[in-house]
Amino acid sequence: MSRKAFLPGCALPSYSPENVSQCLKYLKTKFPDLSVVQKCCGKPTSAVGQAALFSKRFAGLVEDIKFCGADEVIVACQSCMKVLKGCNDYKTTSLWELFPQIGLPPEMVGKAKDSDAVFSVQDSCSVRDYTGIHDGIRWILTELGYKYEEPERTRATTRCCGFGGMVGPANPDVAFRVMKRRVDDFKTPYIVTYCAACRQSMLKAGGKAWHILDLVFGDVVYANTAPPEDVLASPVKAWKNRYRSKSLIKKAYK
Amino acid sequence: MAYEKSIMDKVREIAQDCQGGHMSFCNARCPMHTDATRYIEQIRENKLTDAVKTIREKLFLPGTLGRVCAHPCELECRRNTEYGQPISIAALKRYAADKADSEELWDITKKSSTGKKVAVIGAGPAGAQAAIDISREGHAVTIYEKLTVVGGMMRVGIPEYRLPRNLIDFEYSYLTKLGIEFKLGVEVGKDISFDELSNNYDAVVLANGAHKSFVPPVKGIEADGITNAVDFLRGVSLGENAFEVKGKVLVIGGGDVTMDCARTSVRLGAQSVTVASLECEVELPASGHEQHEARQEGVFINCGWGAEEILSEGGSVKAVVFKQCLSVFDAEGRFAPTYGEEKLTIQCDTLIFATGQMVVDAANGALDQGAGGRYIVDRNTLSTKIDNVFVAGDSAGGTIVVEAMALGRKAAISVNRLLSGVDLTKDRDFKSEYDFKSELDIPLPKDVKDTPRNYTKMLDPIERTKSFVECDLGFDESIARAESERCLKCECKECMKECIMFNDFTLYPGALFKKFLEDGDMEPIIAYSCNMCDQCTLVCPKEFKFAELFGAMRKDMVKANHGQSPMPGHKAINMHQKLGFSKLFTVRIRGGSK
Repeated sequence: MSRKAFLPGCALPSYSPENVSQCLKYLKTKFPDLSVVQKCCGKPTSAVGQAALFSKRFAGLVEDIKFCGADEVIVACQSCMKVLKGCNDYKTTSLWELFPQIGLPPEMVGKAKDSDAVFSVQDSCSVRDYTGIHDGIRWILTELGYKYEEPERTRATTRCCGFGGMVGPANPDVAFRVMKRRVDDFKTPYIVTYCAACRQSMLKAGGKAWHILDLVFGDVVYANTAPPEDVLASPVKAWKNRYRSKSLIKKAYK
Repeated sequence: MAYEKSIMDKVREIAQDCQGGHMSFCNARCPMHTDATRYIEQIRENKLTDAVKTIREKLFLPGTLGRVCAHPCELECRRNTEYGQPISIAALKRYAADKADSEELWDITKKSSTGKKVAVIGAGPAGAQAAIDISREGHAVTIYEKLTVVGGMMRVGIPEYRLPRNLIDFEYSYLTKLGIEFKLGVEVGKDISFDELSNNYDAVVLANGAHKSFVPPVKGIEADGITNAVDFLRGVSLGENAFEVKGKVLVIGGGDVTMDCARTSVRLGAQSVTVASLECEVELPASGHEQHEARQEGVFINCGWGAEEILSEGGSVKAVVFKQCLSVFDAEGRFAPTYGEEKLTIQCDTLIFATGQMVVDAANGALDQGAGGRYIVDRNTLSTKIDNVFVAGDSAGGTIVVEAMALGRKAAISVNRLLSGVDLTKDRDFKSEYDFKSELDIPLPKDVKDTPRNYTKMLDPIERTKSFVECDLGFDESIARAESERCLKCECKECMKECIMFNDFTLYPGALFKKFLEDGDMEPIIAYSCNMCDQCTLVCPKEFKFAELFGAMRKDMVKANHGQSPMPGHKAINMHQKLGFSKLFTVRIRGGSK
């Protein structure tokens, strides 16, 4: 069996240390040798065009993976997926493809079968060609007992949430119009994403959005449930969370 | 700033191959490149004044062409190539012109006078178009016209029931408003010599048209009761009753002029009218609607016969003996009819030959002439062996009104270059001066269905055979709007429908990158407004990878900016990334046993 390392990425730890910690604990029950690396993959550096700096930073992450002796990384972020795929020293697997193989924590299965919330799925545009990831997300929703529907543009034809390409800081007006357009695509008020940045974009444009891990590990969502607050909008809260996530990870290995 | 070669290669490729600026199929097929896609959209929106303005950007006679244009655009219409049911483009043009054309919309601006003067021979569509385009450049133009009326073949060839004469006069009044001088009833070569014109004017455009019928030397042709299409139609149009139509009429020919002769004969009280064509029915050159309307009016069309002998009685035509025609053209497409054994005799009291037209020389032999009297010209510039003489219209080989106009425009471009001392060919886009096949290669719009073409309302066939009153009544508003709804708006703006930021910066990516090439650079905000979502690539028929290109540009922009993004907003990313890689917020733990 391969030696695996879990990489929660950076937006997810900043958004929800609890999701990271619970996910890690569950994965460890399946893969006792599991390693973990919490670090940015460098996608933002790469996206703004700082190629040399990116190479240096990414090399550091690859070095961390080697330190763990991992030959397979499990990523919870779609940017990580694409960036890490760029190196052949290990195999890159999406957490969303992995869940159907290892199953959800048994106590979570069917927990939302009585929920009256119907979700629309926001697929991440960076993985529009990864059918396995799309299938995995739908499998998780069904396994939990949630109902969902597909917007007209979904899976391979999904639309950007507006966050991509680091457009937000460069041209906030364009970014916001892209966010708004995507929220307007959905026919149900509830949106499920599998990217913390997508979730934030949907919230910014007035959508009610949950991260898929909120649905896996959190309380059951009903038609009158309010979505979790937009933590990422506050840099202070986000960095506190990132630090807390690191602490929870360390704790899990004590 | 400088960019990697691979980036510049890609930019050039997109600038060249992006289809965003390609003309729609109909527009490219129109020799004058009338933007039908746009005016049909304006008709759909009921903005008829705008529609007329769009048409008038290219055509000075929208009402005339709305009636008589052979509309090659409809052949290329996507609804024709896909379903065989083209948009009624010409009829929509007529609708807009009839409803909204008025003199206030006419653009009579022109450049200040150059002091140069140009003579145009012929007031048909080619001469008129040339005169307009030359006059607007500030040159003084005089049109010499043999007839006492304007319009050329539109006036004395096309019958009045297809084109009311007051409309020609109204639309030609544009030329007078521009200050173009008409010398009507002056025949060059008789009343004034060609040499006099070419010597006294800075340039001459020869657009005298093909006003002589070609009549094949059939045995017995000297009998009475026989005429030709050109003389016949001109006589009727001008009210000169030189030729009397009587009894059974037989028209020999197969094109639209044949139908004009046949339908005119019906209106003149012929006992019966028969058309005999060399071509078989499927090869008949006459337009479908002309054949249909002729048949409705009682014309009998007998296809696949070649005239062998004319029989007469007491000096007057009595019948024509035909032999069966097996094929008209040889393998190379040359006119070389072959005949079978079968014979057919058709009785007639009047015989009209509508078998082609020739150009009568007006240049007194100064220019070389080829087949049918067409002048030998440079196809690209319409120049001749005399430096300041150009030829346009039928005389240069055009066959339909809108082609004649395009040749008129082409001759005018040459004249304007000559008079301003610019080389006739340098940096000249010849392709755009005539029809071409659109290079658009795009999928059909989603969910498009075949829908039936709408036809204009026609006067009852019995009613229309009684006079020369216009028989096509055109569209009413509801049908015109319905027909305009059918337009598929053929253009490639697929990425523009997907990408929000492209719309902030350009009309289509090809234009954006053309500008990049001209300026040698691009605003960084454009590259930094790309979400890298690839939605553009998904719908691009060329699958251009814009995200990849913008990503590569960003790298060069950072390099040129001391390793930093040129976007002020990206300063925050520096700190964010620094922290994201710092010890404080990162952790790595090797699991399991060592």
